[in-house]
Amino acid sequence: MTLSPRFTLTVGILATLCLAAVIHILVVLSIPRNVQHSAYDNIATYGIDRQFNLLPDVKPGQEALPDLDPAMKHAACRFQLADGPVLFDASIPVSFWSIGLFNAAGEAVYSLNNRTAGAERLSMLVLTTPQLSILRENPPENLEDLIVIETPEPISGFALLRAYVPHSSKADEIDLALRAARCGTI
Amino acid sequence: MSETSLWPRVTSGETNWYENELPRVIRPHRGHPVRTLTAISLVLLLASLLGISSAYLVIEREQPLNAVTIGPWQAYPKAGTTEADPYSVAIYTRGAVIPLASGEGLALVARVDSNEHLLDPTCVYRIAGQTPSARLWTLTAVNGRGDLVETLPGRVHLVSQNLLRAGDGTFEITAAASPQSGNWLPLAAGANASDGLRFVLRLYDAPVTTGAALDGVSMPVIERTGCP
Repeated sequence: MTLSPRFTLTVGILATLCLAAVIHILVVLSIPRNVQHSAYDNIATYGIDRQFNLLPDVKPGQEALPDLDPAMKHAACRFQLADGPVLFDASIPVSFWSIGLFNAAGEAVYSLNNRTAGAERLSMLVLTTPQLSILRENPPENLEDLIVIETPEPISGFALLRAYVPHSSKADEIDLALRAARCGTI
Repeated sequence: MSETSLWPRVTSGETNWYENELPRVIRPHRGHPVRTLTAISLVLLLASLLGISSAYLVIEREQPLNAVTIGPWQAYPKAGTTEADPYSVAIYTRGAVIPLASGEGLALVARVDSNEHLLDPTCVYRIAGQTPSARLWTLTAVNGRGDLVETLPGRVHLVSQNLLRAGDGTFEITAAASPQSGNWLPLAAGANASDGLRFVLRLYDAPVTTGAALDGVSMPVIERTGCP
């Protein structure tokens, strides 16, 4: 069987386009698995895991992480739920603060701000479903007051605490509050 | 595939197997291994070139596809969540960007002014109107890559709480490299037009991030008032 040149050319172009689409999709899907520095990795450079590490002030040319707000101070804490539940506890004396929980891929798992927290103090417990059922057998006194976040799987991830700096005179006070914020075992 | 046969016309014998008068589809095929190999490698090469370069262009633009557009402002409420599309996942993980989660706030980015012209850091812009209700918002000027830039007074942002407002709650901000009266958002000192400019408006604790639709909210307009 012999094909006409025009038919061969059409088949060739169609094959190129289909293959190009497949390669395009594969490249886009493979990027998240091949990034050298994820946010989860970057945060490790600011201190040890399972404690809030104060990130340097957001200033031109020395941003700790991309896309942070220069009006805020940030503290980050990396945690692995496989090592046990994580309790977040902080009291930040500013008009606005918020905390976001992200998994290792950088996807938001949970987030709240000081209005939705319902109290001036942040006390939040993150654990897996099996860890919660173990905890329920012998509950700590303040379990009722905690915001309990249950994840089906023992995720690794990080929390980013943002605190609004209304004026530079309050900066030191906020630094202290962020340093004193707890991210650890119950 | 050759159309014009170089074979001599023979009307009898076994060689008329290559007879040209046979309809094309039943004409026997003679293999051309080199030509086939070349064609296949050409297709492979072109396809990889096309596929990789198109993926690179989409990711490098750093504009997730499912944007919510309000005038010149764009927001990506789904980016950085488990419902994000593969493109924004690739863009956000490649840049190691930590998004504002829905319980914290919403970031809106402007790359163009209200007349759809690309923002230029050497120009003067007037940002006026009102924002969706939020407990706090900040407006930051960054360059085309999303990085902060050095400005004359050292600050690179404006905060809603320190803003001068008109009686009806609207505001007017002048974004320029040189000092301005009123609400001044400093732009990069000594910037070139090629550095690019983006305005980032971050609404904190705003109802628009927690369910309420983004449609129909009023966002400030961005007008170019002068260029050198």
